[in-house]
Amino acid sequence: MEDLEGKKILVIQTHGVDTPTRTYSPIFYAMAAAAMEMDVMVWFTMNGTNQLKKGEAEKVQLDPTSDVTLKTLLDQALDAGVKLRVCQQSMDLWNMTKDDLIDGVEILGATSIIDLALNADHVMYF
Amino acid sequence: MAEVEEIRGCVIRKDLYYAVDDHTWVRLNDDGTATVGMTDVAQNLAGPILHVRVKKVGTVRAKGKPLGTVESSKWVGPIKSPISGEIVEINEALKEDPQLVNRSPYNRGWVARLQPSNLEEELKDLLSGDQAVAAYQEKIEREDIKACEHLEGFEI
Repeated sequence: MEDLEGKKILVIQTHGVDTPTRTYSPIFYAMAAAAMEMDVMVWFTMNGTNQLKKGEAEKVQLDPTSDVTLKTLLDQALDAGVKLRVCQQSMDLWNMTKDDLIDGVEILGATSIIDLALNADHVMYF
Repeated sequence: MAEVEEIRGCVIRKDLYYAVDDHTWVRLNDDGTATVGMTDVAQNLAGPILHVRVKKVGTVRAKGKPLGTVESSKWVGPIKSPISGEIVEINEALKEDPQLVNRSPYNRGWVARLQPSNLEEELKDLLSGDQAVAAYQEKIEREDIKACEHLEGFEI
């Protein structure tokens, strides 16, 4: 296994609770990169934003026999040191305010994402 | 056969040293090296393991830094090294059969062998024997960790 400590990965998630099967993998990959000691950020924009609304991610459960929901994954990602960021402008699409967001998420504007993309070693789009 | 204790079906061997919070164990070998692996509780939390990736022989790790990663269908995370040292051997068998970690967490499912660099000091932070059992019992109850399930062929 290569030593990838400190590499920067930016994951861009544009899919939300309306397409459950597109929600788990980007978070899982982010957790994998964090376990490999990379500096990982997930940027939620467009429909991806709605999974960060309090109470929404708990409803997404791909395997009904498991107690794991999308909220479980988001919490595990935060525990693993993954940074979760949301697009300010996209929050308006879902009538979301800062108070609607789950804990641990920071709001950034569009110019920030350009900086982050330029500074990342790799960007993954979903 | 080593002395063991079972907590909610999870096996804790009393002859190993544990970093309970990270779910790892250390076995001291006669040649001065130390073997590291994941506990029965760890394999139970992860579920059937799909991949174990360990850093290369020669990699120097500080205590708490990942020796590698482990993934199941529902979880992926680091295997944090309970001690500082250089990796001198990795368990190649895990590449072909990662569920050795599930079936034999304390023997054939070992992860890596290290040449420790600060063992005497760091052993003070690890728990063995009854202390390890008590700490694990407390953790399992506090976090309400589910009872251990074992794949066919499980061995202590």
